[in-house]
Amino acid sequence: MGRIVLENVTKSFGETQVIPPLNLEIDDGEFAVFVGPSGCGKSTLLRLIAGLEDTTSGRILIDDADVTEVSPSKRGLSMVFQTYALYPHMTVRKNIAFPMRMAGLSEEEQEKRIMTAAESLNLVDYLDRKPGQLSGGQRQRVAIGRAIVRDPSAFLFDEPLSNLDAALRVGMRLEITEMHERMQTTMIYVTHDQVEAMTMANKIVVLRAGVIEQVGSPLELYRAPQNLFVAGFIGSPKMNLIDGPQAQKHGATTIGVRPEHIDVVESGGAWTGTVGVAEHLGSDTFFYVHGTGLAETLTVRAIGDVSLKHGDPIQLAPRATEIHRFDADGLRLP
Amino acid sequence: MSNRTLPRLLQTPAVILLLIWMLVPLSMTLYFSFIRYVLNNLRRPEWTTPSIENWRGFGNYNFVLNNQDFWLAVQNSLLIVCSILFLTVILGVLIAVLINKAFPGRSLVRVLLISPFFVMPAVNAVLWINMILDPVLGLQGLAVGGINAVIADLQNAPIIGPFFSLWPALEPISFRATQTSAYAVIIMVTWQWTPFAVLIFMTSLQSEDQQQKEAAILDGASAWSQFRFLTLPHLGRPIAIVVMIQAIFHLSLYAEIEIVSRGNGNKNLPYLIGEFANNNIGAASATGIFAVILANIVAIFLLRMIGKTLME
Amino acid sequence: MAIVAQNSKYGKAGRTILAWGVGLLFFFPIFWLVLTSFKTDADAVKPEFLFFFTPTLENYLNMTENYDYWRFATNSVITSVFATLFTLAVGIPCAYAMAFNPSRGTKDILMWMLSTKMLPAAAVLYPMTFLTKSMGLFDTHFLVIMVLSLINLPIVVWMLFTYFKEIPKEIIEAGQMDGVNTLGEIREILIPLAWGGIASTALLCFIFCWNEAYWTVRLTTTEAATLSKLIEGNRAPEGLFFGRLSAVSAAAVGPIVVLGWFCQKQLVQGLTFGAVK
Repeated sequence: MGRIVLENVTKSFGETQVIPPLNLEIDDGEFAVFVGPSGCGKSTLLRLIAGLEDTTSGRILIDDADVTEVSPSKRGLSMVFQTYALYPHMTVRKNIAFPMRMAGLSEEEQEKRIMTAAESLNLVDYLDRKPGQLSGGQRQRVAIGRAIVRDPSAFLFDEPLSNLDAALRVGMRLEITEMHERMQTTMIYVTHDQVEAMTMANKIVVLRAGVIEQVGSPLELYRAPQNLFVAGFIGSPKMNLIDGPQAQKHGATTIGVRPEHIDVVESGGAWTGTVGVAEHLGSDTFFYVHGTGLAETLTVRAIGDVSLKHGDPIQLAPRATEIHRFDADGLRLP
Repeated sequence: MSNRTLPRLLQTPAVILLLIWMLVPLSMTLYFSFIRYVLNNLRRPEWTTPSIENWRGFGNYNFVLNNQDFWLAVQNSLLIVCSILFLTVILGVLIAVLINKAFPGRSLVRVLLISPFFVMPAVNAVLWINMILDPVLGLQGLAVGGINAVIADLQNAPIIGPFFSLWPALEPISFRATQTSAYAVIIMVTWQWTPFAVLIFMTSLQSEDQQQKEAAILDGASAWSQFRFLTLPHLGRPIAIVVMIQAIFHLSLYAEIEIVSRGNGNKNLPYLIGEFANNNIGAASATGIFAVILANIVAIFLLRMIGKTLME
Repeated sequence: MAIVAQNSKYGKAGRTILAWGVGLLFFFPIFWLVLTSFKTDADAVKPEFLFFFTPTLENYLNMTENYDYWRFATNSVITSVFATLFTLAVGIPCAYAMAFNPSRGTKDILMWMLSTKMLPAAAVLYPMTFLTKSMGLFDTHFLVIMVLSLINLPIVVWMLFTYFKEIPKEIIEAGQMDGVNTLGEIREILIPLAWGGIASTALLCFIFCWNEAYWTVRLTTTEAATLSKLIEGNRAPEGLFFGRLSAVSAAAVGPIVVLGWFCQKQLVQGLTFGAVK
């Protein structure tokens, strides 16, 4: 079980309130991702759930039990840190055994769980090494192993992949997602990388300045961003945001169109401009278009290789059904 | 709140112990410094027990300020501290620069150099004043005697004899005398603390920017200008720290003074306090307060400097 | 270039000789102390036996008879060891609290602790004598242990604090997540991790206790008197007993000087309170 509920939780450091009253429910077995720019309070929120920070006010419930005043060691959660936080003076085996030793499990049980974890994480050959002798990816696995063996009601991940290089990151991303599929345990995952959020989560929580901007599944956020912030944050490359007369034509203060929802056409396009930079990826081509009179630069994604180059005139046709409309407060219009 | 209370409480034993250690004796000193309090006085036996009845106001302070010994002690304290500081910093910088670059046996030389710092002060004083500086039987006396003997032999030699006859016999210096005992203290403490300065300056030199140095060499800077414009400024902060830490330690020099001369004309403030404390507790306490003030002047600067680097 | 290279070759030889000269010069008094300790009292003051003499162990063999050395040495060991242990027992939890659970006052508390170290001891000489005599603590091991602990506590807390701060906070937090309580954090994680730092802090604390020469001299007479008191009380009547005095002095400082060689690096950190790295 691992249903986590936050009720009117706030957090202040001295005079500054970093988390204004916040409510959130994470259901058992969910993979929730907290995402937002750095300094948005996502890590603080995770640490509040872990108990590593004291809540200033409000309640935190785990499986309907109030744990607000409970020490981190008694909450039954496991955490994987960005810096791995392995115990450098212990071997991999002892690192993984540590939480079980603290919980007073029998030696046989400890050994059994260590072997299961080590096998699933490809760590069997490294059990007697110290963390200092391992690569970044291996250390990350040990940290995950240490988290798994105590059979927590939920896993907390604090930007666990940001210290890995790009190739490893994709691999570990898949492993963690698979782990979730297999175990079906609640996971809360903090990241600033919206690609990680989109690919791993079944519930994304977008945060800005301690405030939840939107909660939903990845595709909900993609299809119906509730406000300009979410619209700009989710999706890569970013959504084009257009103010002025064009927006008013659609009865909005601002309209947004994702680059993949603008078609490059031979003629009769609603918008025209000049290609600034063309990025040819083979599978797609990205155009950064100037001189449309709509925004300084429009980003457009065309499927396949389209052979326009710098300085070429370009005609663009936005898909009418994919235009997002926002009011003067930046909120989504139905 | 909940989770952090116990961990934070763990600092209380240390804080309470130090609080008692600092406050209780110091406030007693402060109290005694304002009353008449002597250990032996047949005429006025009521003064031999501390009591608020014997309030003297600033009388003890006046007595101390008008006491010639006090000013001599202050002067002597400052002379000793300043001389040691000057010598240790100069020697420390020179030696640190000398041994900063690798040479055969460097780590052994380091070990030899640092050793004096770990010699206990009492042994330091006994060793220097007896075995080394004694005018007759110490190394000094033996060396002077030896040189005199050689010269005496040379005076009898043909041809060059008359020339050496013009040389006066060397007189060994007695470092136990009133005028010279301070020098003995300065020599022995400098010997003990120069290693400390060397160690700190060396540590600091290790962190000197080598690329900056190389750039200076390419710019054609001489060894002297490198030292003057790069190394010295880099050492500014460690020098300040060495000066202040030593000032605090040396203002309370005691064993060395006691052993060298029993304070014979060479009292510093701690020694004077010890002397007063044999009978006139009021005066001892007032002198103690002055010593606290003197130490605090240095301490404030030192603490500021340390405070800046504390939490980074 | 050839000239420069040659120049630096001679420069290097010169520097090596000079550096060795300085090192030997500074070590010479200690060497001389040890050398004298192997001479008889009579030989020690004779110029003809300056460097060449018949070495004798009699000064060391007679240390007990001449100075009651072992009684003072035992006192030094007892007081320094227990003072070091007590200081660590109080200092480790304190430094732990400050390094991993800092509050807004932490910095001020640290600075204040340091400032107690800067109080001149002499200023509170009489109250200390008065208090300890009236409490019956004067000249007891307990008193010496407490005083040595208290004067070294600030430095010990500071040193430990600077060591502990280098341990990533996440490791302690990982421990909390893994189910250890506060005591367990200190015992299972902090102490094994900071073992090197704690050991060198202990070593330095021990050296300072051993060498302390104000309170150990003023607050003891016979029962708890340490080696500092012994040497201070036997400053030789001029020129007498150089041999035996050297032996007892060498025996008093020898072990400490050797211990000191092992903690030179920590000394810098400890005595400059982390301000020079």
